[in-house]
Amino acid sequence: MQGNDDMNQMKTADAAVPEEARGLDIHAHADVSNYETTGDPLLDNPKMSARNVNVYYGEKHAIMDVSLDIGGNEVIAMIGPSGCGKSTFLRCLNRMNDTIPICRVKGDIQLDGEDIYHSRQDTVLLRARVGMVFQKPNPFPKSIYENVAYGPRIHGLAHNKIEMDEIVENSLRRASLWEEVKDVLDKPGTGLSGGQQQRLCIARAIAVSPEVILMDEPCSALDPIATARIEELIDELKERFTIAIVTHSMQQAARVSQRTAYFHLGKLIEVGQTKQIFTNPQHELTENYITGRFG
Amino acid sequence: MSNETYKNTALIQASLKKRYAREKRFQWMGRFAVFLGFLFLFILLFDIVGKGLPAFTQQYLLIDLDLSADALDVAPDADAEALSRANYAGVIKSSLRDMFPEVKSRSDKRMLYRLVSVGAEYELRDRVMADPALVGTRQSLWLLAHSEAASYLKGQVDPNSPEAERRVKDAQITWLDQLHADERTKSGFNTQFFTAGDSREPELAGIRVALYGSFLTLAVTFLLAFPIGVCAAVYLEEFAPTNRLTDLIEININNLAAVPSIVFGLLGLAVFINFFEFPRSAPLVGGIVLALMTLPTIIITSRAAIQSVSPSIREAALGVGASKLQAVFHHVLPVAMPGILTGSIIGMAQALGETAPLLMIGMVAFIMDAPAGVTDPATVLPVQVFLWADSPERGFTEKTSAAIMVLMGFLIMMNALAIYLRKRFELK
Amino acid sequence: MADSLNLDQHTSHRFNEELEDVRARLLEMGGLVEEQCRKALKALTKGNLELAIEVANSDYRINEMEVEINARCMDILALRQPAATDLRVVVAIIRMTADLERIGDEAEKIGRFAQTLAERRDAGAFRGDPKHLGKLAIAVLRGALDAFARLDVSAAIETAAQDPEIDQEFESVTRLLISHMMEQPAAVKSLLRVNWCARALERIGDHAVNLCEEVIFLVKGSDVRHLSLKEVQDRFL
Repeated sequence: MQGNDDMNQMKTADAAVPEEARGLDIHAHADVSNYETTGDPLLDNPKMSARNVNVYYGEKHAIMDVSLDIGGNEVIAMIGPSGCGKSTFLRCLNRMNDTIPICRVKGDIQLDGEDIYHSRQDTVLLRARVGMVFQKPNPFPKSIYENVAYGPRIHGLAHNKIEMDEIVENSLRRASLWEEVKDVLDKPGTGLSGGQQQRLCIARAIAVSPEVILMDEPCSALDPIATARIEELIDELKERFTIAIVTHSMQQAARVSQRTAYFHLGKLIEVGQTKQIFTNPQHELTENYITGRFG
Repeated sequence: MSNETYKNTALIQASLKKRYAREKRFQWMGRFAVFLGFLFLFILLFDIVGKGLPAFTQQYLLIDLDLSADALDVAPDADAEALSRANYAGVIKSSLRDMFPEVKSRSDKRMLYRLVSVGAEYELRDRVMADPALVGTRQSLWLLAHSEAASYLKGQVDPNSPEAERRVKDAQITWLDQLHADERTKSGFNTQFFTAGDSREPELAGIRVALYGSFLTLAVTFLLAFPIGVCAAVYLEEFAPTNRLTDLIEININNLAAVPSIVFGLLGLAVFINFFEFPRSAPLVGGIVLALMTLPTIIITSRAAIQSVSPSIREAALGVGASKLQAVFHHVLPVAMPGILTGSIIGMAQALGETAPLLMIGMVAFIMDAPAGVTDPATVLPVQVFLWADSPERGFTEKTSAAIMVLMGFLIMMNALAIYLRKRFELK
Repeated sequence: MADSLNLDQHTSHRFNEELEDVRARLLEMGGLVEEQCRKALKALTKGNLELAIEVANSDYRINEMEVEINARCMDILALRQPAATDLRVVVAIIRMTADLERIGDEAEKIGRFAQTLAERRDAGAFRGDPKHLGKLAIAVLRGALDAFARLDVSAAIETAAQDPEIDQEFESVTRLLISHMMEQPAAVKSLLRVNWCARALERIGDHAVNLCEEVIFLVKGSDVRHLSLKEVQDRFL
């Protein structure tokens, strides 16, 4: 299993580098060995499974020995304080970290039993199967239609205009955006409101029919009503997709997820049923984080 | 607590006046600077336009011509061949002598002949050749005035100044005044300025060659510099790994942008003309040299434009499974295009105004015929300006300014194009 | 109030204070209820009419406190959205106020019976019979409140373990009263009243055990309300 050193690396501006890669070296003092995740991180029949994943940003050890399974058709929330590695871990799941030149990933991550970091694994195919929705709504500066049609087009999923129209409509319907935009499909996607833009991004992600959707703080830029709509949407989407969501809002994690994983300083501290995590966490760090105590 | 609050309010109020005064001062300084800038620009434009505008008119003199076969020194039934060799200069000269019979001395006659442009005989020849029936008739024709006579007619010469200080002599002034009184002078729009090539005679000189040359050179420059520059920028920005080598390349590109343009001229001379043996004075070589000069500018501005594209767009594209190339060409480049175009057009404008490197590769030659292709000898507008500014004849002063006006018109058009393209791309 | 659950360690000091406030109020309410029980028992066993009237008419203060504490807990739920321990603290306190209020009602009931019994001359001989039962019940109540104040699970379990003793004592008091009834049928009315008082004391014990269970829930996070004492002991001791 190898990292991404051999990949064509694409430079990205600082904003794309997760917070773990920047700032102070908070991991210098952390003890890497001898910790065990509380709760039950492993499942019987996982959609994705990560084993002993370590991530380094240059010299920094951003993720330490994380093992976590993600079950099919479940919503798993990843929470934790800033710089805890939750976004980094999420980005490992569709190899989005490949775009950061100094980032190295070690360990074993599988999708349906296939090693996604295998040298024969194609990242384009992987990202078609594991879609992503980002923190800031980032529609392409093109029309609403084009935004949704882009993915299916580059993957050749539609053979003609009629099929494409169908995909676009279905995706927008599933993202519960169709009724709002069906008359303005040729208007730029960037002209929509923040919440609509984020739903457009979700429509764009589901247009290629991925199996897993990764969401990196999808509501952090949205108002409570728009947030509620996205959360409702997540609830509907879990019928068809497996969803992993990173969020800063504990309430959101509590509302949308079935399982919750708590990250702290690069370690996966505790995993459990969301109900249990929020009423009776087993680990003191989880408890402190969830109840807003001093760390 | 409340006492302290009041005290603070008083203190803040006391400092407010000073702060606002400072702000006011700064604003006035700014306005003054803007005003100064506009003033200089206005003076410059006023000077150039003032000097250049007369170049767009030409002066003509109405001369009675005896076009008899005798005077033309041809047989009455002469063919075109003979007609083309007829003595038109003699006709014009004798006609002038007839109109001013009092002129006797040799030097006076020579002054008299200098009222009419050297080009008048060729004009007359063309007319006669076009209509051979003119032979044997007497015609009153408008002939182009000599540039010195024209400058007097345009009012640029003060007849009261000492005769030695001007090129139009007292005798000529008397004749011109007489012609003017007989309504035998007129002025017209100078179409020749745009249709003729360079000439030793100011009244015959035009910028056609320079215009064509500039256009061809810039076309070559753009076709070479834009694709190469953009591709280099895309590669360096999106694909190249960050290591010592790319750092070195980046530093060198930045340095290259600061290299004096004449060095590029030397390079062009050494490599393209001496080594590859490309033709001298050709827009092809000029374009290549200017492309080399413009490349760093285009690369630097393109990289800046690509860098300024939000990384979230890239991530979005990669997130739906686009390859890096697709992400760059479908999403990053279209967003960066306005910036890239602006940078490129600024680079092209710079190239348009460049003289020094073109001098090195021989685009400074005296060329009368417009180039038909990129390998024909040509000159360019700034070089033409340079050449005319160097000429001693008074008539070239106004030509210089006129050529500068044309050059500026060109630049304004390019900038307008840049703005238009920018707006168009931003709308999408 | 330092404790093992770090209830005073929130980033928000206001939240610390609010949680501290409802806990202090619950303890205050507990103290009041305990006091009522003591007075009721004393009024019953000593035949003190004045005290009996006082007890019978003081219950409203407990009711007011219940309403007040519940309102504050609602505020915390709505405004702070507590999770984990904090959530359990608030939920436990809401449930405990209900138990305490019931205990208050039982004390009031005893007060009323004590009032009538104090006026009857025939009760003198046996009004002291439930005294030991009452002391036991009050001890359990006190133990439960102490366990809550210290968030002490083992103390809570030990306290709850006294419930069977109370039940036995209640049985023996009942048997004693039945034998009295057979001896003096004329005093059956008073004897029945005494028995109802004994019954109320037994109920106080049950509610106190509920309080102990809430303490266990609060600290350990698992609901032990319907587990046997044995199971609870096995799990947490």
